[in-house]
Amino acid sequence: MTANAPLKLQSRDDKLYLPVPAKIIAIKEFTAKEKFFRLELPQGMSLGHVPAQFVMVSLFGIGEAPISISSPPSKDNIFELCVRAVGDVTNNLHRLNVGDVIHIRGPFGHGYEDSIIQRMQGKQIVFIAGGLGYAPVRSLINKVVPEHKNYEKVFVLYGYRNPSEKLYDEETKAIAAVGGNVEYLETVDKSDATWKGNVGVITTLIPKINIDPVKTIAVICGPPVMYKFVVKSLLERKVPKENIYMSLERRMKCGVGKCGHCQMEGVYVCQKGPVFSYADVEHNEEAL
Amino acid sequence: MSMTPQIYSLTKAMLQQGIDKALTDYKIAALTHKENTDQPLYDYISNSNQIVFAYQPTVLSPKKFLFPQEETLTTYTNDGKVTATINAFPQVLFGITPCDLNGIKLMDEAFAEGYGDPNYLAKREQTIIIGKECDKVCDQDAFCYKVKANHIATGFDVMLYPNEANNNFLIKVATDKGLAFINKYFATSKGDEKLLQDFLARKEKNFSEKSFTKLDQFPELFERHRHHPIWEQEGSRCLSCGSCIMVCPTCYCFDVVDNTELNLKKGTRTRKWDACMLSAFAVVAGGENFRHAATGRLHHRINRKFNFLMRKHGQSVCVGCGRCVRACLAQISPKTIAAAITNDEAV
Repeated sequence: MTANAPLKLQSRDDKLYLPVPAKIIAIKEFTAKEKFFRLELPQGMSLGHVPAQFVMVSLFGIGEAPISISSPPSKDNIFELCVRAVGDVTNNLHRLNVGDVIHIRGPFGHGYEDSIIQRMQGKQIVFIAGGLGYAPVRSLINKVVPEHKNYEKVFVLYGYRNPSEKLYDEETKAIAAVGGNVEYLETVDKSDATWKGNVGVITTLIPKINIDPVKTIAVICGPPVMYKFVVKSLLERKVPKENIYMSLERRMKCGVGKCGHCQMEGVYVCQKGPVFSYADVEHNEEAL
Repeated sequence: MSMTPQIYSLTKAMLQQGIDKALTDYKIAALTHKENTDQPLYDYISNSNQIVFAYQPTVLSPKKFLFPQEETLTTYTNDGKVTATINAFPQVLFGITPCDLNGIKLMDEAFAEGYGDPNYLAKREQTIIIGKECDKVCDQDAFCYKVKANHIATGFDVMLYPNEANNNFLIKVATDKGLAFINKYFATSKGDEKLLQDFLARKEKNFSEKSFTKLDQFPELFERHRHHPIWEQEGSRCLSCGSCIMVCPTCYCFDVVDNTELNLKKGTRTRKWDACMLSAFAVVAGGENFRHAATGRLHHRINRKFNFLMRKHGQSVCVGCGRCVRACLAQISPKTIAAAITNDEAV
């Protein structure tokens, strides 16, 4: 038999595993466990990312962790992350202050590249974010919402566990205020005494939006358990599977398709993903 | 480069003389015995008398000379100095058999694909590979011939064809690098083409058992039989010890750890062999395990060899060396699994 396609060396960089410094220039505490970081690369260096790519965040002495980029593409040397403290790297990142220097490698992976953005022009875009999933989707929301006149409709659906676990509160209020063809809906799984909005899981928002499925492109990010249900709801609304996009996550130690940890049935999430269409993964039993 | 392979001839004594000369310029790894024992292993030698010429299967494969068990990637200091570390030096891998030559060829392709791995590629560039053909199966656990890995055409610099007494060798030079090496250190005479044909005929006769008849269809067959009962049957015995990965010539998953010195002034970021069969391989910080069942992990690993990676490389990525069969405490074997999936009669 012959190989699928000839294996080719695409790049050989002696600095593949060598991170560059990034200075923390702003920190905002969203919740007890989630913090926003604004970072500055050395002068003249730009991250050069597309929405939903990720970087490997390095704390020397602790280790590396993959974190999705939370800011839209930009030409300057600034980018933003929203990080939940769950493990060694992230808990130690939370202990740092403005002025401290961390290191990063990247950007890595396939995000929402030009080809996908082109497909989205003039369509009805539905952003569906669950919890911390708002952070990666924000890198595309903050590009699309300001350019909302290029799209027929823009929906931003955000669901989080309870009112105290909301991220980017000011920004979502600003999105809600845009009006016109931009619609913002939010829901909580569990309300508190003061909550007056929707209560229910994220899928309860989907019937509330008026979409033409043929023109709809969905951009989803959230905890692993969420995808099956959201995808099912969208398929029931007849959104084509090629138009349902998701950001998947797995364990990553290298970010460059070598260490093996991020695979789903042989597909490297750090290389082919993290952004996949449902059509890409519907037969991959390790995906959703 | 294209060159007509030349055939040379060398006695064992002349071969050893050349090796001893080359040892002044190269680190040379060969099949040898662990000191004061008769346990075979691939190791760097200090003189040619340490070389074991009659092949015996080893526990670890020669991949460790290109992809070491532990390898520093970067060093860091507490005043912010961070440096990439690449440890490459001239070395010769001597007497590598076709199964392991196939293993190295597959690792070469894997580390060069996409983002080229600088550490592996730098080591590989400075490595000369001298293969040694096998004229018979080495033991009952090896099944190289079932996956056609007892043959290899490229990926080495020089190939040795030993006679039955292992005291005379035909040599075929395959690359410029190999030719330069042979010319510099070895006093060769012209080889007899007929003796090479004799060797190949002997090999053909001794490898009487043929490959899996449906080998070329393995990717589709494994895809189709995703839920075959063999997975639960074999996977239920797996202890998730990871031995199969450690000994495998084509496994290269790795973990990365930072180790800071006690004085907190500097440290190293090191990669070390990891194993997809270990239970925590796919665990993320939040606690979710994306491959929590041993059966699923077995399915993933075997499919890498016969399905996912086989599509990429155009050949079976399991080279049938038998090391995992010998190492597995639960007697799990890729040969059993492949036979069940493809309904082959003779196992």
